[in-house]
Amino acid sequence: MAKESAKKKTKGPEYIRIKYNAHRPYDWSTGKYLGKVYAEAKENKKLVGNRCPQCKDIWLPPTPVCPKCKIDMGWDWVELPQTGTLYQYTYLVYPLWDPHYGEKWANPYPSAVILLDNGVFYRHWLEETDKEKLKTGMRLQAVWKEDYDERGQGVQDILYFRTIEE
Amino acid sequence: MANRVAIVGIGQTYHTSKRDDVNQPEMVAEAVRSALTDAQLSIRDIESVFTGNMETFEGIFLPDHGMAAEIGALGKPGFKVNTGGTTGASAVAEGFYMVSSGLYDISMVIGFEKQDCGDTTAAISAAAVPVWAKGAATGAIGEFAKQALSYMEITGGTEEHAAMVRVKADKGACRNPYAHLKLGLQSIDEVLQSPYLVWPLRLLDFCPQSCGACALILATEKKAKKIHKKPVWLADVEVVHQEPFRAGVFGDPTGKETYTQHVACEKIYKRNNITDVRKQIDMAEIYEPSNWEELNLYEHLHFCKKGESWKLIEKGITEIEGEFPVNPSGGVISTNPIGATPVIRVAEAALQIRGDAGEHQVTRDTKTAIATALGGPNWTVMFLLKRSL
Repeated sequence: MAKESAKKKTKGPEYIRIKYNAHRPYDWSTGKYLGKVYAEAKENKKLVGNRCPQCKDIWLPPTPVCPKCKIDMGWDWVELPQTGTLYQYTYLVYPLWDPHYGEKWANPYPSAVILLDNGVFYRHWLEETDKEKLKTGMRLQAVWKEDYDERGQGVQDILYFRTIEE
Repeated sequence: MANRVAIVGIGQTYHTSKRDDVNQPEMVAEAVRSALTDAQLSIRDIESVFTGNMETFEGIFLPDHGMAAEIGALGKPGFKVNTGGTTGASAVAEGFYMVSSGLYDISMVIGFEKQDCGDTTAAISAAAVPVWAKGAATGAIGEFAKQALSYMEITGGTEEHAAMVRVKADKGACRNPYAHLKLGLQSIDEVLQSPYLVWPLRLLDFCPQSCGACALILATEKKAKKIHKKPVWLADVEVVHQEPFRAGVFGDPTGKETYTQHVACEKIYKRNNITDVRKQIDMAEIYEPSNWEELNLYEHLHFCKKGESWKLIEKGITEIEGEFPVNPSGGVISTNPIGATPVIRVAEAALQIRGDAGEHQVTRDTKTAIATALGGPNWTVMFLLKRSL
């Protein structure tokens, strides 16, 4: 006993770490503009953006002020096409952790930049997980959550983009 | 015209993954003491204190509220800045504004991060707007991966070139007593054999999570010359904001091109009549969380023509002994205590100008240097440093 504590003493002070595991839920206001995106996704399975009256650029996420022209965007909404081509992509090799739930990242879908058919760039996930079959330029179509009650998470109401043959 | 501002004190901690021996304020105090020693000043000489830290990365908010004693800020003006990856650079810019405005003669700026206390990726995604949280949960890695792919497609640069940048960084880190990762890499094969995290980014293609702090003391021209034999002048500063979640729509949807870097360069180079960067500037400390990003930055910061950055590393131009050294300290890919990281960029550039970088002092006589910072929101902060004005 005495011998053991003497041994410990020579090691210097023992540093103490304490653990906190706080649960931090929060509610987040979507507001007028982003709220429109959430409502259209949930009610109509539509992807919408708003258009600048001056430069005519379409913004998603929508904005009340055009970042480029710095003018009031008004209330001009555009339905975005749900088909497009794969512009750039990557995929997870090493599993990351979902910090919200402390689980291994549950989304195996490759992350992608998609060029929608009206020329707007959009970031989402691909259904195709076989990396050999992924190729920039391939045609894609949005796949929505079909259950109305499961929708309500904005752009995440789109499960992924599916490869289509045309 | 604003008052001239000089760096008269530089201090940093060593960097590592885990510091059990100190709490956050104690760790920050190490950098403060070191900067005061360098300046030969007392904490009583410091009129105001500005800090930079990525709130919640340590699991707590308002971390600066618990360290007024340790950093000598009690009863003094100052506040904390938090702007994402650029946090530390924003703090330096803040200190610069305060001194150049004439409000204070001597200010201290401190960047710090003790990442062993919290979960950085959890903080990034928990603090992200929930709309995009799912995307943010892959952290910065996925975004850099897409940029890397676009880089290869557009420029013809290869994974071998990125590996060369990684080996260069490690050579610097091994010679820098403050650096975190010192891997002793012997060849690019070691990099190319490291596993993919997010294709085509490998484990060795990305920065570590470090604990550390860095402090700078800034002073007016009148004071600076009395305080330090070798004051380093902050000749110019530019801060550029952008829309984080709309980043892709400015020019390049993959984010390879960064709008704010173009704006920062245009302004800084124009104001200072810099037309040939590699000739008129002697070295650079840039913010490269990934070796791929370093290749992108060579182009963005006009170190070379578009699509030719891989030639710089192939020819050894950016090595410590090279014609235009970049990140001789080992850079962000070797050491990333987030809030401190951009302060270290400025500190390391200043050490090179003073000739005090020791083992990693560059061969080229450094009279002028640039230091940059970038962050997830794609903001850019850029500094021009000079030995004499």
